[in-house]
Amino acid sequence: MEKFLTVDDLKVHFPTPDGVVKATDGLSFGLDRGKTLGIVGESGSGKSVSSSAILGLHRGTSARVSGSIRLDGTDLLAISNQEMRRLRGKDVAMIFQDPLSALHPYYSVGNQIAEAYRVHHAVSRKEARTRVVDMLARVGIPQPDRRYDAYPHQFSGGMRQRAMIAMSLINDPSLIIADEPTTALDVTVQAQILDLLQDLQNEFNTAVIIITHDLGVVAEMADDVLVMYAGRAVEYGPVTEVLTHPEMPYTWGLLSSVPDVTADTSKRMVPIPGNPPSLLNPPPGCPFNPRCVHRHKVPGDLCRTELPALIPGNRGEDHLKRCHLSNPEMIYETEVVPQFDPALAEER
Amino acid sequence: MGMKLKRVAAAGAATVLGLTLAACGGGSSDDGGGSGNNADAVKGGTLRYLQHFPFESSDPQRIYYGVQLGNWRRVLYRGLLAFPMSEDPEVATTPVPDLATDTGTASEGGKVWSFTLKDGVKWEDGSDITCEDVQYGTSRVFANDVIIGGPNYTLSYVDVEDYPGPYKATPEQQAAFEDAVSCDGKTITFRFNKPWADFPQAVAGMMMTDPYKKSFDEGDRSKWKVLSNGPYKIESGTWDKNKGATLVRNPEYDPATDDPETLRLALPDTIEWTIDPSDTAGELFNDRLIQDTGDDQYAITTARVAPPQMPKIVGPVEDRYQNVLSPYNSYLVPNAKRITDVKVREALAVALNLNDYVKALGGEAMGEPGETIVNPSVSGAQDNPAFANDNDNDGDPEAAKALLQEAGVKLPYPIKLGYQKSPTTDKAMAIIKEGWDAAGFKVELEGLSDTYYDVIAQPDKDMDVMWAGWGADWPSMMTVLPPLFDSRPNISSTTCGNDYGCYQSEEFEALVDEAANSDNTEDQIVALQEADKVLGETYAYIPLEITKFNWLHGSKVTGFTTTPASNSYPEIGLIGVAD
Amino acid sequence: MWAYAARRVIIGLLLLLTLSFVTFVLFFAAPVDQAKYACGKICNEDQIAVTEKALGYDKPVHEQWGGFIKGIAVGRDFPVDPELRAAAPDIVTHCAAPCFGYSHNNAKTVNELVAAAAPTSMSLAMVAVVMWLAGGVTLGILAAVTKGTILDRGIVGLTLIAYAFPTFFIGVFFLKYVVIKWEVLPYPKYVTIEDAGVMAWFTNLLLPGFTLALVFLASYVRMTRAFVLESMGEDYIRTATAKGLAARKVLFKHGLRAALTPLVTMTGLDFATLLGGAIITESVFAYPGLGLLTVQSSNAWDLPTIIGVVVLAGGFVVVANIVVDIAYAFIDPRVRLG
Repeated sequence: MEKFLTVDDLKVHFPTPDGVVKATDGLSFGLDRGKTLGIVGESGSGKSVSSSAILGLHRGTSARVSGSIRLDGTDLLAISNQEMRRLRGKDVAMIFQDPLSALHPYYSVGNQIAEAYRVHHAVSRKEARTRVVDMLARVGIPQPDRRYDAYPHQFSGGMRQRAMIAMSLINDPSLIIADEPTTALDVTVQAQILDLLQDLQNEFNTAVIIITHDLGVVAEMADDVLVMYAGRAVEYGPVTEVLTHPEMPYTWGLLSSVPDVTADTSKRMVPIPGNPPSLLNPPPGCPFNPRCVHRHKVPGDLCRTELPALIPGNRGEDHLKRCHLSNPEMIYETEVVPQFDPALAEER
Repeated sequence: MGMKLKRVAAAGAATVLGLTLAACGGGSSDDGGGSGNNADAVKGGTLRYLQHFPFESSDPQRIYYGVQLGNWRRVLYRGLLAFPMSEDPEVATTPVPDLATDTGTASEGGKVWSFTLKDGVKWEDGSDITCEDVQYGTSRVFANDVIIGGPNYTLSYVDVEDYPGPYKATPEQQAAFEDAVSCDGKTITFRFNKPWADFPQAVAGMMMTDPYKKSFDEGDRSKWKVLSNGPYKIESGTWDKNKGATLVRNPEYDPATDDPETLRLALPDTIEWTIDPSDTAGELFNDRLIQDTGDDQYAITTARVAPPQMPKIVGPVEDRYQNVLSPYNSYLVPNAKRITDVKVREALAVALNLNDYVKALGGEAMGEPGETIVNPSVSGAQDNPAFANDNDNDGDPEAAKALLQEAGVKLPYPIKLGYQKSPTTDKAMAIIKEGWDAAGFKVELEGLSDTYYDVIAQPDKDMDVMWAGWGADWPSMMTVLPPLFDSRPNISSTTCGNDYGCYQSEEFEALVDEAANSDNTEDQIVALQEADKVLGETYAYIPLEITKFNWLHGSKVTGFTTTPASNSYPEIGLIGVAD
Repeated sequence: MWAYAARRVIIGLLLLLTLSFVTFVLFFAAPVDQAKYACGKICNEDQIAVTEKALGYDKPVHEQWGGFIKGIAVGRDFPVDPELRAAAPDIVTHCAAPCFGYSHNNAKTVNELVAAAAPTSMSLAMVAVVMWLAGGVTLGILAAVTKGTILDRGIVGLTLIAYAFPTFFIGVFFLKYVVIKWEVLPYPKYVTIEDAGVMAWFTNLLLPGFTLALVFLASYVRMTRAFVLESMGEDYIRTATAKGLAARKVLFKHGLRAALTPLVTMTGLDFATLLGGAIITESVFAYPGLGLLTVQSSNAWDLPTIIGVVVLAGGFVVVANIVVDIAYAFIDPRVRLG
């Protein structure tokens, strides 16, 4: 049966004077109600571009979007602008990274949330206000009736993000896309916001896409994880599976570079060497090959000549990876883990 | 023919163009004279007068612009005497009675002048014009602290000491003045401290001795009020500096007391006199006159046709065009303090190519080469022989070089030439430089702006030769030569006054005294002609050109002409509009 | 807030005092004998001295400035020579506080001159500001939303061309062609609303207003375009779109609100400057406003009027600065409450 959200071969290409930038190039995934998908990757890997495509935010720009995005059976790439507009904020809502810049500085917070409600519901100002105040209370904003009239700059960072969440939930959406929802926040506040998001998701049975570069967030929040590199999925599967038995050297790199203040001092951060590739002129073969320290383990020059397919590896049908390595599990256990977490290596 | 070339020239650039080349004048309409036809002249209608600069005042004792003196004599302010409306300079520069019964009686060798007022002459408020009004008007000129501006020649003539004008005078001072300018019934007698042979011309041409009603006087605040005694009046009683006014018929004016044929026909019922003080007004007025539609068909203007507009003066437009000599001359002044050798100054005159100079100004429609500083409209004007040796105005650099070698000066001889800067004068001065450089001078041009005349009046300026312009205040050489070259009224420790070259000549000043002391204009003219010769022999000045005026008028305007009496501006006393 | 406002007002007044003093100093630094200029071309030294005393130019500069300040504080009688006032009380002009002086040249108090000229400049400024704002903002938005198209380039290019031509040239062009040659409009001349009615007032202001507006149009188009583009790239615009707002509402309610705020400042200051007189436009069209008064008084070395218009124009700018700052507080909540 088709999932609630099914993205198939999504491509988002931006023509520029220098050539076509393939920000997203053939992305496919699915998500059920009440479930959370974490999309991880470095800046410029195509995470935000892809999720923006779901909301049709590339409409009216020069971007060329192809493939299909079906939400509850409706192809979002085929519907009219008018239909897309009705869907935005109502069925699919978005939470942005920096709530200070994502909220309009000249309108009160309450007003902005009420606007999101009234655009989809023919209610009076007063009714909208009541609804917004309830929602502000629900996301844990104290004295919501008074704070309704406050401006974004009068809120703390955490409060602002709570307000953003209130805005995203105001129309009971079936899908929430949270784009780096905690990046701009203090570490302590991050946890509160994530908890809140999770509680609300459980309550409303919402599907959530959480975009992040932080595997810690994914580990805590997500059911599935999709690792993106240079506009493509490089590893995709259940969180428990992918994070414990990653099969793609890029995912290894991400895991190695996660700082963990709670872990003991034996854990080291190992940064991924090199820089993300140009999306204008991606390297031939596997896009990660110039940075891949395990390239030589693949016979021939395959990494440089052939793009590996996203296919199941040795761990089962639902764990997909894009890599030419034939024995990734072995390399991870014997070479990668000891490097950044000797204790974990010991344990295994 | 009064004109304030100097002050005008110090005003804004575009205005300068309009006014500097404005003036009284020659009256010899050598082109298109056909427009001055009075055959179809009829009384009535509305004449529109388009003026491109504001007047300085509408108070008779403060009026100094030539065009205003000439025009307002015809419409608002009658004088004891006036100049006839004639294109013949001889006739137009000979005063005739206006408010007075005759042209005045001189006695005591020209030191005492008497005039008697006509019966029935009235102000616009219906009251009679009295001898005391003339006396009061004359007294106002003395108040340099209240009636600021305007001509004040009478101050150096009237036989009274330390008279501060009627506002501040003690009873004794006032009595002393009323002894010098006294009334006996309708007869006013002016007692001067020296002869004033050309006084009637001053009376007719200026308004220093015009009547003024004491009860109407508010001192400085009278500056824009008008109490007319002419055929028109201003309904509101006030002239608007930047807008002008509408002139309507003055019912108290009685043509029987006047000589309309000679002095003022007063044909239109109404004169809409519009001021547009914008920089471009003059050019746009003439654009409108070329176009000749609507109300503009009934219009005349104070603005001369600009050289770029000349090509449009063809066909029917040409029938509405006149090109006349103006009362303005321009000239060069060698700085006597810096160029002491007369031979060097002569070389400057000989090398000058005036024909090309005039071409640079815009050609023969804009001016003609001058042979003296005295304008042809001034009584007794004649060519100065000192300026004949310039190869028919083409300039003779070779002869000039010979003069310089004769003088034994080191060549090239450096000359700094100062002038008032404009695109036209830049071109014209470049022509002068070319001729002089060819003769062995090395010319540096220095174009100055607004403050030009103040700079060249300074006694210690570093300029060797300066450009200047002048127009006679009335058609007597007494208002040309002494004001410009007599060191005594001009030079002090701080200034050379209007004697920009700081020129000083006992021989010249003796002739000026002789002219000033003569009791008749004939002797005066002879002495001043001699004085001009002295100036020529010592090259106190070098004539440049006599400025010409170019006039357009609307197709429904009748009797259009200019006269020396109108200072070569439109002679409003003759102009009417067709039905 | 009040302390801030008071401080701004005091600084403004000090600025105006300095401005008036500097104008005095500059006037007398010019290589021109102002008294001689007023007296006339054949005045001798004694006569010039009398005129100089009558105009008060014989006193030291600081004393003359003191007299000016005193006039503003308590009023003044003219002529300044007390002897003359005593001898001829009939010709005394009383100028009540705040007295900006008396212009011999115009035979009016500077207050009267300025009061007569200010409505002209204000009318012109009002018509012009409406034209350039309406045109500049509309075209700027149009250019921004069609960014990169021919329309965008056309708008920006054409307004730049209009800007490149001197105002003087444009004004004369309109007069020569639109008025005289093609007779599309009557020759503009300033009329008051009470004399001729609103229609005539406005019709006469069309050409001069448009000429003046063209000076500002290009920069307002470009500013609006830049501000709209900047604003439309902000995160909150994406938020507004993601809410499901129609594109039009996103642009007008969310985009323009922020984009047009800096224009308020610009407009306020530009308008205030024009209240002090649009020198070139008023000169070309002979509109008797403060600009023309400035030109005429400068040409005539009429110090009292020069001082009056300089201080008044400076006052407009000072007041506008304060007003704009206060207005900003109402427009931008971050300023108001932050």
